[in-house]
Amino acid sequence: MSTTIEEDAQESDVEDATAGEPEARVGLRYTLSQLKRDPTAKVGGYIIAFFAVIATVAFIDTNVLAWVGHKYWFAETFWVNPVRDPATTQILRPPLSLTNDLHPGAPGDWNHVLGTDHRGRDILVRLFYGTRIAMMVGIVATGIGTVMGVVVGAVAGYYGGWVDDALMRAVEVLYAIPFLVLVIAFMVAFGRNLLFAMIGVGIRTIPVFARLIRSEVLSVREEDYVEAARASGVTNRKLIQRHVIPNSFAPVLVQATLQIGINILVIAGLSFLGFGAQPPTASWGQMLSVSRGYMLPAPWFSVWPGLAILLAVIGFNLLGDGLRDALDPRIQNR
Amino acid sequence: MGRATYTIRRLLQGIPVMFGVVLITFLLTESMPGDPVSIMLGPSPGLQQAAEIRAQYGLDQPVHIRFGKYIWNLLQGDLGRSLYYEVPVTTKIVERLPVTMLLVGASFVFGTITAIPLGVVSAKRRNKPVDHVSRVVALVGVSTPSFWIGLILIIVFAFHAQDVAWLPKFPATGLVLPWADPATIDGASSRYDVIARSLEHLALPTLSLGTLRMAAFTRIERSSMLEVLNQEYVKLARAYGVRERTILRKHAFHNAQLPLITIMGLQLTASLGGAVLTETVFEINGMGRLIITAVNNQDYYLVMGTTLMFGVVFVVGVIVVDLLYAYIDPRVSYEGGD
Repeated sequence: MSTTIEEDAQESDVEDATAGEPEARVGLRYTLSQLKRDPTAKVGGYIIAFFAVIATVAFIDTNVLAWVGHKYWFAETFWVNPVRDPATTQILRPPLSLTNDLHPGAPGDWNHVLGTDHRGRDILVRLFYGTRIAMMVGIVATGIGTVMGVVVGAVAGYYGGWVDDALMRAVEVLYAIPFLVLVIAFMVAFGRNLLFAMIGVGIRTIPVFARLIRSEVLSVREEDYVEAARASGVTNRKLIQRHVIPNSFAPVLVQATLQIGINILVIAGLSFLGFGAQPPTASWGQMLSVSRGYMLPAPWFSVWPGLAILLAVIGFNLLGDGLRDALDPRIQNR
Repeated sequence: MGRATYTIRRLLQGIPVMFGVVLITFLLTESMPGDPVSIMLGPSPGLQQAAEIRAQYGLDQPVHIRFGKYIWNLLQGDLGRSLYYEVPVTTKIVERLPVTMLLVGASFVFGTITAIPLGVVSAKRRNKPVDHVSRVVALVGVSTPSFWIGLILIIVFAFHAQDVAWLPKFPATGLVLPWADPATIDGASSRYDVIARSLEHLALPTLSLGTLRMAAFTRIERSSMLEVLNQEYVKLARAYGVRERTILRKHAFHNAQLPLITIMGLQLTASLGGAVLTETVFEINGMGRLIITAVNNQDYYLVMGTTLMFGVVFVVGVIVVDLLYAYIDPRVSYEGGD
């Protein structure tokens, strides 16, 4: 008797796995084809790809190339005319500061397309290096929030009862403290650097995903196949891992894409208040923060970093909206 | 269950959240490195003096006792004394909270009165040029950093406007509060003058903080309008030959406002956070700048007090939304708790 039940359980487990997969694969392919047809998602995708390429090059430039000795190749090659010693053609100025003392705080010209900042540093180059931080921090922070939020939400939704109550109350507490306030307090307590900015922002993003996944889980939990799997003796943990989380994947993906945009905004705000990347590291928010002191003589200094933030966030919002349309057939025709 | 009982029950449900907020902030302030007393007294304080101040603020006791004491005092309405300002925390909050609420209130008013028409028109003329324009406005609005809008507004309307005759001029800093004493304001003789001056000062910060609200509200308004316009009863009304305008005004509009109200409640905390940035840009002395000062000076009690205040605003906001919901939608009863 017991063997048949076990066999049943195994059988249904296998069946479930094979039955679920092809459908998911078709779903993904379908989603991608829908996404390709959606012009807004396309534009968003291109914007993100553009920033991703810049971020990658800047990352390689400052980390890999700097490590092997080619310091700031990116800046020197494309955007700044470094001051060279006529005899040796060696660069005289340290490339790190990207200095051109001839034009401290000049508006754009052919050497410095977007102008220079108060120290004569090329704004475009600094924006490029800032892209690295914005993209990395936005994506990592959202990743932290998504993973933790999904775990919390799935556990709360699946087990229900007091576990659900306790977890959701805790999540509500996080929600009750304004984003910037919580992250600032967190950073002051643990460290005023980008690592803790990412962790702090990630923690504050938990509620978004926990709530989302919980409501998804609550509806998935009632599905017949989950009930069947449970009846055939599949463990709770396996159920959550194999069925509940994968089935709630679509809305999480949409929300995560949108959340990256929000988190980029928040981190720019943190840097603006002096709680992000510390100078001389270039980050968009910190550039804006410095530009506050030069709004009258050098207004262009305030314009460009803000536009960069705006464009990046628009990219994630467009892609997120496109994903939502592609993944949720109910609102397809909107 | 009556409205009063319901309100009380919801308030009671807020208590665990408040306790959680206190606990989290207490733990965070506890883990802050550095010593508030040495920040207070300068680089080389006398040991005797430092010990006295520590004892005076109760900082010489173990953590759990301090937490217990803090909660006990909290129940009696005492938030402790600010180490930095050397006044009770409540005094500081009473001074600053109205300023922030004024700013946030103004941004909500701005957001609502711009978003409702935009969203409705957008839904009514779906996929027409108006709709595209309003969608782009909303998209740009939700993607723009509020503090950057503030900087650009200052550059254009406070600095550049000095040289350009046709641009309206607005002050960038030095917010005048509408309830300020007319005698203390230059060139103001009556309450009316003060309010006019205050509105002038509020214009730029409101735009800066309100753009995001406008954009977010427009998106919600549009999608909920579209949803309502797709409902059976609207189709039925159309089939009966009811004019589109009447449908919109009498049948659809009212029902489409519920999601907007929900979002407003949830956005309250978000905009309080955003106020931190706006206050910094426009140098407004509200709660946001208060908490930055508190954090930078390791002012334990001030950090906890202000965070707690934000938590209270959140809890009250959620309850107000619930009550509004029940008021607007008669189908919502007071029975369901959450």
